Amino acid sequence: MSTLVGTTPAVAVRRANRHRVGRLIADVFTYLGLAVTLVFFLGPFAWILTTSLKGNNDFFAFPPVWIPSDPSLAHYVGLFTRASGLRYFLNSLTISSMSMVAALLVSLPTAYAIARWRFGGTVFGTFLLVLRMLPAIALIIPVYLMYKTLGLTNSYLGLVILYTVVYIPFAVWLLVGFLRDFPVEIEEAAMIDGCSRVGSLIRVVVPIIAPGMAVVALFSFIATWNEFLFAVVLTGIETKTMMVLVTTYTSGGTDMFYGEASASVVLGVLPAFAVAFMLQRYLVKGLALGGTKG
Amino acid sequence: MRQLGFVAVLLVLIAVVAAGVLPVQAPAQGAKPYEGTTIRAVVNAEYVKYSLSLVEKDLYDKLGIKVDVEVIPLDAFVPKTLLEFNSGSSPWDLIMFGPSNMPDYGRHFEPLEPWTQKLKLDFQLDDIADVYKKLMLRHNGKLVSMPYDGDVHMLFWNKVAYERPDNKKKFKEKYKYDLQPPKTWKQWDDASEFFHGWGWDGTDNKLFGAGASYKPSGSGYSYHWWRSRFFSYGGQYFDADMKPLINSAPALRALEEMVRTISYYPPGVLLFESEEPKTMLVKGEIPLLYSWTSTGKRVGDARESVIVGKAGFGLVPGAEIDGKMIHRPAITPGRAMAVSKYSKKIEATMKVLEFISLPDQSLKIVMDPKTIMDPWRVTHFRSEKFRKAFPGAPEYLDAIEKSFPLVVPDPVIPGADEYQRKLSFEITEALAKRKPPKEALDSAAREWEKITDRRGRDKQKAAWGEKLAEMKAIGIEYHPDWAAKAK
Amino acid sequence: MRVPVIALKRRQWEPFAFASPALVLIAIVIVFPLIYSFYLSLRDFDLSVGSDSTFVGARNYAEALLRDERFIASVWNTVVLIVPSLVCELLAGLGIALLLNRVTHGRPIITALLAIPAMVSPVMAGMAWRMMFGVKYGAINNLGRQFGLLDVYFDWFSSPFMSVVAVVLVEVWQNTPFMMLVLLAGLQSIPQELYESARVDGASPRQSFWHITLPLLKFTMVVGVMIRMIDLTKLFGLIFVLTFGGPGGATETVAFNTYLVGFKDFRMSYAAALSYVIVGGVLIMTLAFQFVQRWREARAA
Repeated sequence: MSTLVGTTPAVAVRRANRHRVGRLIADVFTYLGLAVTLVFFLGPFAWILTTSLKGNNDFFAFPPVWIPSDPSLAHYVGLFTRASGLRYFLNSLTISSMSMVAALLVSLPTAYAIARWRFGGTVFGTFLLVLRMLPAIALIIPVYLMYKTLGLTNSYLGLVILYTVVYIPFAVWLLVGFLRDFPVEIEEAAMIDGCSRVGSLIRVVVPIIAPGMAVVALFSFIATWNEFLFAVVLTGIETKTMMVLVTTYTSGGTDMFYGEASASVVLGVLPAFAVAFMLQRYLVKGLALGGTKG
Repeated sequence: MRQLGFVAVLLVLIAVVAAGVLPVQAPAQGAKPYEGTTIRAVVNAEYVKYSLSLVEKDLYDKLGIKVDVEVIPLDAFVPKTLLEFNSGSSPWDLIMFGPSNMPDYGRHFEPLEPWTQKLKLDFQLDDIADVYKKLMLRHNGKLVSMPYDGDVHMLFWNKVAYERPDNKKKFKEKYKYDLQPPKTWKQWDDASEFFHGWGWDGTDNKLFGAGASYKPSGSGYSYHWWRSRFFSYGGQYFDADMKPLINSAPALRALEEMVRTISYYPPGVLLFESEEPKTMLVKGEIPLLYSWTSTGKRVGDARESVIVGKAGFGLVPGAEIDGKMIHRPAITPGRAMAVSKYSKKIEATMKVLEFISLPDQSLKIVMDPKTIMDPWRVTHFRSEKFRKAFPGAPEYLDAIEKSFPLVVPDPVIPGADEYQRKLSFEITEALAKRKPPKEALDSAAREWEKITDRRGRDKQKAAWGEKLAEMKAIGIEYHPDWAAKAK
Repeated sequence: MRVPVIALKRRQWEPFAFASPALVLIAIVIVFPLIYSFYLSLRDFDLSVGSDSTFVGARNYAEALLRDERFIASVWNTVVLIVPSLVCELLAGLGIALLLNRVTHGRPIITALLAIPAMVSPVMAGMAWRMMFGVKYGAINNLGRQFGLLDVYFDWFSSPFMSVVAVVLVEVWQNTPFMMLVLLAGLQSIPQELYESARVDGASPRQSFWHITLPLLKFTMVVGVMIRMIDLTKLFGLIFVLTFGGPGGATETVAFNTYLVGFKDFRMSYAAALSYVIVGGVLIMTLAFQFVQRWREARAA
């Protein structure tokens, strides 16, 4: 039982003060802890960014120079020209965009079928779970052989097809969630007015769940942008993605080609930075479903 | 609305793809014979791409040809390129490859002789050093490639470490013989023990005993370093029946010595590829290194080296057997350039191959410290320009030539890359102290047997039989008794 | 009377029509390859030797489980990487979630910022940290040297042990945010009244943590750990960039080893068998984990 009852005002004030001091210490500790946390989790990005802007003098200096004295974009220029970085950046952009659009196109009707007609509902759920547990290596071995015979290696189409299909279960799952929140009455009203199912889907449902679709699109963009194993096996010089480009710097290159290496990392994490703020509310769900690793 | 946007995006993407993929087709008009042609080359490192960029301007000025160079990282290079070739096609015209893998690559290359006659090419074969002529030119007797990088191992030492009277005194006291650049492995190990952990350059810095590359990547590294010891103790890859000898007494002695002395090497040595120990040498952090000849160029490059004019060049250490010195520097893997027989632009590629092999163009490539390509033409070694390039250059070039009669190649048989990789992996496992040396070598021998079985034992035996005979002809044979009596 | 009949039929095939593109694609690109892969695993297809293959039954599986030292070593390596990563991610994630839970304004921004490491590719994370681990010019060694803490030449990959530490460190860096987000969501679902009445009852903060927070968070923690555990079995991109399995084979994970077998040695059949062994292993691990959870819950009841 509370001991506040039989105390003098002085004791109560002292206790209240101790509480306040205690809370203050806790607050300081909290903010300090969060500051350290932010430095730990974001520090590497800051270092890579500054490194990509440093010149030789700064990079090879000791005592270490943390802020570039003469920041320049020379490394980015070098990456884009000498190392064909622009081509690879565009490749990543193209492949991810195409996969994102294709995934949406295919998943939306499917999600609709599940949400409206309970089409094989649990089947998709289990399928998603199974796919989540499947290591990419299990899929790439047969797919590689199939693609080789079909001539789909080193092509945009091959990768886009693979990425799209692998991403369908996640997209469907997320979209089902959004569709379930959608009031059926609006749709039925449209259909009474003479719209077909498909028509109501396109003209009524899509505009309203557009934010949800954007979420799915962004997640799928990031997942395909980040994907590595399929890309490293299936791409060649024309279709190489940013992820594969970065690996050319692992062989003894991190000191000699530090500029290009760090510049390619900066470009490679750009989408993550762009998307993180937009997808805040859905982060847990997206990450849990494996939506960003691919 | 969305469909419109999608179509727009699709159009843009198609345009991008087209721009990137379609080759530039232009009629061959004008002063330059192949104006507008672009050929595609594939190489295994950024350095090689850089080296080609040194000659691309002259190439374009003279022939109008551009070269689009793709870099496939070292670890993926052999598998990826062979996979393309084995499927009967290749997206590349000019192929850089390691001559040790000639048995696997050779049949995909376009023979050079018919084109030499047709286009009046002159590869100046007489100007190629013999040892490279043997290893880098032919497949089944036909001329298919030109050397690009003459990879031979040689010894480098830091003269500051070796000439300081203080060091000499201390060494003599401890080891009872004079401090000199090591001629035997024992002397090398003693020196690495002696120099490790203090400032042998007269400063207070904590320096290291010796350098090496022990990472099992590409097709080697740690196995290249082990091989010189192995062969000088009388080792050989297989016997005449294709039984692996890589877990024999010479092998064990070599690996045990390496494991015992690894603490005298820089901490990251297990992950060192070719360049890291060279960097340490030229920065004066290690006194000893045996590695590829390109090290010498970096030694003489004043932009990064602190030991310009203060380095010695010599022969890789060996073993003393019955009073005779047996040195076995490695020649590995090297680089050669060939023309893919599936190429649609064979003629232009032949001209490019001729061009980059010209004495003066190739001299540019082998002289530049950032290319890590090594000299391979006789004229490279005699070139006045090269010999004046940095202090000690003449000694350096002469030392390379002195190694030629003694070099020991890789096992140049089908599957060479796989044999070497598996062996390197096990050697590094022992060096990382994850396995005892004997167990590691036995594992490697078992893996080698598996590879031989998969490739067809009889086929391998026949291919190996030729190499065994070739090596015997230059005096390299299996001697099980040497391991015990080598000094 | 025809309209209702058509309407009925339409109702039946309409969902199929909507879902068919997805179904067809999944069948072709996922289901078929997986079946093909299993078929391959029962043969001895080896691209480096030729294009013929023969049926060998379960030989590949026997070899993988009984005779392949390197594969078995890679299983052990994977476990060695998973356990410390999970522990660190759980503890750190919980700590940060608790801190973040106390913050009222600015939480969305901080959350979004902290989530970024989880949204970049493991390859990019690996590359960034690889440069930071750089012996001579990397951020960590520079910092250490500047503060006089580190030796002239400290190499994070100099020994098998240090390499494992480095990999775990990057893994934890990348994935603690996810765990943190999951736990934060769990924390926020705990009704405040429970804490209030506990405080009124005189419970110290530590007591309410142990007796209110943790038990109510258990389910969330289990879910988070399971998801991370499954993800960790797939560890590949990070290894590729950071250590490439080295030194020697110290950081070769099961996925990495299978990749080498399939795309360096080109032994496709054997690699297919290995990948199914991995799938089987993950299944068993997941089921075992769930079993243990249920058994502990039954015991606690």
